[in-house]
Amino acid sequence: MATAEVHHLFHNPIADHSFSSDKKTLAVARDNNVELYQKAGSKFSLTDELKGHEKTVTSVDIAPNSGRIVTCSQDRNAYVWEQTPEGWKPTLVLLRINRAATFVRWSPSEQKFAVGSGARVIAVCYFEEENDWWISKHLKKPIRSTITTLAWHPNSVLLAAGSTDSHARVFSSFIKGIDARPEPSAWGERLPFNTICGEFLNDSAGWIHGACFSPSGDALAFTGHDSSVTVVYPSAPEQPPRAMLNISTRLLPFNSLIWSGENEIIAAGHDCEPYRLRGDESGWQLEGSIESKAGPGADSIREESALNMFRQMDLKGQSQADTQLKTVHQNTISTIRVYEDANGVVNKLSTSGVDGRVVIWTI
Amino acid sequence: MSTAQNYRTINIDTLDPDSPQNFPLPTLLPSTLPPPSTSSAAANTATQVRQLLRSGDATGALRVVLDTAPLGGDEGAKQVHLATVVDVLQGIRQGEMGRVLEGVLVGEGGGERGDCLMKYLYKGMASTGPGSGSQSPRKGISPQSTGFSQVQGRNLGEGGGGQQMSVLLNWHEKLVELAGTGSIVRVMTDRRTV
Repeated sequence: MATAEVHHLFHNPIADHSFSSDKKTLAVARDNNVELYQKAGSKFSLTDELKGHEKTVTSVDIAPNSGRIVTCSQDRNAYVWEQTPEGWKPTLVLLRINRAATFVRWSPSEQKFAVGSGARVIAVCYFEEENDWWISKHLKKPIRSTITTLAWHPNSVLLAAGSTDSHARVFSSFIKGIDARPEPSAWGERLPFNTICGEFLNDSAGWIHGACFSPSGDALAFTGHDSSVTVVYPSAPEQPPRAMLNISTRLLPFNSLIWSGENEIIAAGHDCEPYRLRGDESGWQLEGSIESKAGPGADSIREESALNMFRQMDLKGQSQADTQLKTVHQNTISTIRVYEDANGVVNKLSTSGVDGRVVIWTI
Repeated sequence: MSTAQNYRTINIDTLDPDSPQNFPLPTLLPSTLPPPSTSSAAANTATQVRQLLRSGDATGALRVVLDTAPLGGDEGAKQVHLATVVDVLQGIRQGEMGRVLEGVLVGEGGGERGDCLMKYLYKGMASTGPGSGSQSPRKGISPQSTGFSQVQGRNLGEGGGGQQMSVLLNWHEKLVELAGTGSIVRVMTDRRTV
């Protein structure tokens, strides 16, 4: 079972969180700003605020090597923040979208990042030296609705996107002069920009909330509002997938998922706790929650004195105040991220949610 | 002049190809959708299922009726099949519900049968009127364009309607125990309607 290190930062929803590579800095999207927390002892304390967005910040990502932070917001803008001696300096990115930006992630190469939006496009952004700015190229076809989630393949060219049109798609975001030509894989051999390497739809449809490539990049998992997780193993370019496995659960929908190895997925969402799935090409199963239920929620139920019981009955008409969930998170988990891994096997992960908590799990 | 007056009544959303109103809903249907069927095919299944029910094989009847749901059928086929499902559900005694349901949910495709039953429970609860829900759905009844209807659409516990509702609610409770809240969520997302 997993142990949890809980950081209750504030009483607002956390749209997204990201740790720096040394795990000392934590960036958290809160309302219109991004707050930066520094680790001091065993706690995180607020040290800086990135102010600039005019509407709710929807996503934040820290590049592990360069330390640059990219943020995007419902005000249709994205900024790249760089640390200077005078503080964090934002650079506006030319997204050219007319709806909210919903999701942003750096590519593993850190040369590019992708921004999903409500304008039914994905803006793939890269730095143009001669003009000294971040510009974007749009992935448009055949997206029919808002992009809700993005995930990069380890080769920094393939990009998985989930959308409210219930499809999960794999695109090529190859940009000449920025990317090295990728190795041919089961997803595709020649990969010019906007090649569609896969388009997947569940039987029971539902908005896609989360997607992730396996550590090797040879499989894709996505989860949607139909409370299911789908794992796709591609066979060859332009061919139907070798296997497409749908695990429908009896739980509430998941919002986010990661692979913690080639045969293990951790997913979390509206049930407020992370769940583990295990399997391979021949089949996947839901293993259960990674939380040990004798956890913090359970032992915080204080022993009830008779006086307290009657007082509760008098005030609230019930003998016990059961407002606490038994889970570590007290509300929906919105983001799950890898915290620490070794050779593709994740041993620590972090989650953040609507309850204002960031939790680091050791599995 | 007449065209000028009409400007106010034009629904501009239908003219905008990017509008959500013009979203191509068939793109949400999976390729595994069964072929279209008509009400006569549904009626044939109904006779088959009633025979099973009469012979005492409640589990078998429910299995067959859920496996043959006309997901790709027209509105007529769906109405006839809904009536069959409601009949089967009403034909099973309350004490047997748990056992029958467990029998239906085991084996290959058990989860899908559960999801399908949940769809029928909600559809049964949405369709008003006494009898077996074979009337036209709620949509047509509303007298105003607002979609609200105070008089109709409520089951006041009289006659067959109220009884049907309580049967469906009993089934709903049992099904949620076994199939979880996930199956309720899937009723909302699934475009393969029953």
